[in-house]
Amino acid sequence: MIARNDEGKRIVLGVIGDDIHVVGNRIIELALTESGFVVYNLRTRNRPEHFCHAALEVNAHAVFVSSLNGEGEYWCADFRRQFHAVGLANILLYVGGNIIVGHRSQEDIQRLFRGYGFDRVFHQKPDFALVIATLREDLGLGNAQ
Amino acid sequence: MATPSKDACLGNIAADRAPIISHSLAQGIDFEEVQSFLAALPANRYPAAAYTQRGRMPCVQPRGGYPRFESQLALTHELDRAGADFIPLTIDSYTRHNQYDTAARLLQRSEDEEKDYLNGYPLINHGYEVTRELYRGLDKPVSLRHGTPDARLLVEVAIASGIVEIEGGGICYCIPYSEGFPLDRALLYWQHVDRVCALYSTADRPIHRESFGPLSATLVPPATAIAIQIIEALLAAEQGVCSFTVSFGQTGSISQDIATARVLRQLAREFLDRFGFNATAVYLAYHQWMGQFPHNRAKAAGLIAGGTLVSNLINADKIVVKTVDEALGIPKAEVNSEAVDTVKYLLRTFSFATPPNSPEIQAEAELIESEVRHILEAVFAMPGRAFWESVYQAFRIGYIDVPFSPHADNANRLLSMRDARGSIRIINPGALPISAEDLRREQQMLSVDSVSRGEGYRQLLADINIMLD
Repeated sequence: MIARNDEGKRIVLGVIGDDIHVVGNRIIELALTESGFVVYNLRTRNRPEHFCHAALEVNAHAVFVSSLNGEGEYWCADFRRQFHAVGLANILLYVGGNIIVGHRSQEDIQRLFRGYGFDRVFHQKPDFALVIATLREDLGLGNAQ
Repeated sequence: MATPSKDACLGNIAADRAPIISHSLAQGIDFEEVQSFLAALPANRYPAAAYTQRGRMPCVQPRGGYPRFESQLALTHELDRAGADFIPLTIDSYTRHNQYDTAARLLQRSEDEEKDYLNGYPLINHGYEVTRELYRGLDKPVSLRHGTPDARLLVEVAIASGIVEIEGGGICYCIPYSEGFPLDRALLYWQHVDRVCALYSTADRPIHRESFGPLSATLVPPATAIAIQIIEALLAAEQGVCSFTVSFGQTGSISQDIATARVLRQLAREFLDRFGFNATAVYLAYHQWMGQFPHNRAKAAGLIAGGTLVSNLINADKIVVKTVDEALGIPKAEVNSEAVDTVKYLLRTFSFATPPNSPEIQAEAELIESEVRHILEAVFAMPGRAFWESVYQAFRIGYIDVPFSPHADNANRLLSMRDARGSIRIINPGALPISAEDLRREQQMLSVDSVSRGEGYRQLLADINIMLD
């Protein structure tokens, strides 16, 4: 069966680290749901393996990691390798929020997180419409079953 | 089904207190010694005295806590001089999570480097003997402000220090502050705290309890906040607490604030009386805007002024104040005392005879009252051997659902937004047990254009950030 690209695609969403900033997480959940995605929200205080296990459990098309307090840099190192280990090597990985502590150039941050295995990096990009548009495009080309 | 009852009182809890006060940081707290210390405090150190004497103006209470004793002492003197009616003691977040070792290490570092590494006063590490010295000669109440799900040791040390207003509760200090602390344990620990407060209380010198009504401070419908306030007042009364403050946070809508205050005051009294707690006195506190503050100081001052006027309109017993540096972090002592002074000035300048009324306020109050009654009756009808168990079950199925709570036991199904006047409306009730008619009225007042366009999240963000510049 061929569905519309954005219909029913499964997204695992969560905040990483010991961050309990829940407002942004809830807003992202609502935005994705309104756009027709099926969201599995792990909410706050997650470790990388929580995302792996959830992605495996629901056969996710994409994983969306957020960090509001900058813990992202610490926890996201080597992120994709953990997905390799559970057989999800090609899953789409997104990260966004305030993902590092302090000030660095967007290029440095992009390079750093792409090095960790993320497909898209949205550091301090408040326009969520852009994120959703990108996600739709990426999923159209994606290889999730 | 379990309704509030005096039979739920824990009675003599000496055996439960013993392991708590045997902690080395409790410094051998002795019940009789603390009793005589409390009996010798100035009468005005008790909130009931402050509330009785306040006249027409709400009492003013700032917030404030620094790690080092000397800084806290200086802050206390500064706030006292500025005319604060209640002196705050805000506790650091490690102590709130019972991590006393970490608090000790960071207190030491703060003292060594003369720089603050904690976001409040680590009361348990300072201990009650030192903390009594903070308030020597003070002739007004001190209020403990924290956010601790398990506050059994903290409250023992606070009362032994002469701090006789204890903010918190099993719901209000767990659901907005913690992601994983089990709600049933928080409820039980706060029963214990309430009982300790009751045991130290005498008829003319009651240890005062206060609940924290703002909760997540993010689009919480007034009915949800009021129901939780009344539940916590009832839980405290069960344990023998006889002096209690219910509170709520500025909603962002003046008419909704006035209606909320009216319903909260009236129903808190009514439900306490209904279950035989006629002797429990109830007061009302109003929190100035608890959401994101504007960075611009002039706008922040304007927001503070607006909230202050509302506290006068609703004849609040107390107003908890913010400062113009709210958006920047913990304010300096002089900025904090300036806020107290400004709020006092506003209260004097714009006094009000009686709370205003209008058809709009009347309709709002009727709607909120009906919703609160439905929620509370549904909670009472939940299974349980005691009221606290019914409360716990009510959370589990989403009868009580606090928007934007990080807590795992919170249903997170209720969705609320603002109407054209800025009042908070329920768009999706989740499992909230309100009547179909009340829900229809809520939704009628909302413009749902943005939602139907699939961009509800944008509207929601704008509604949350309503006070930003």
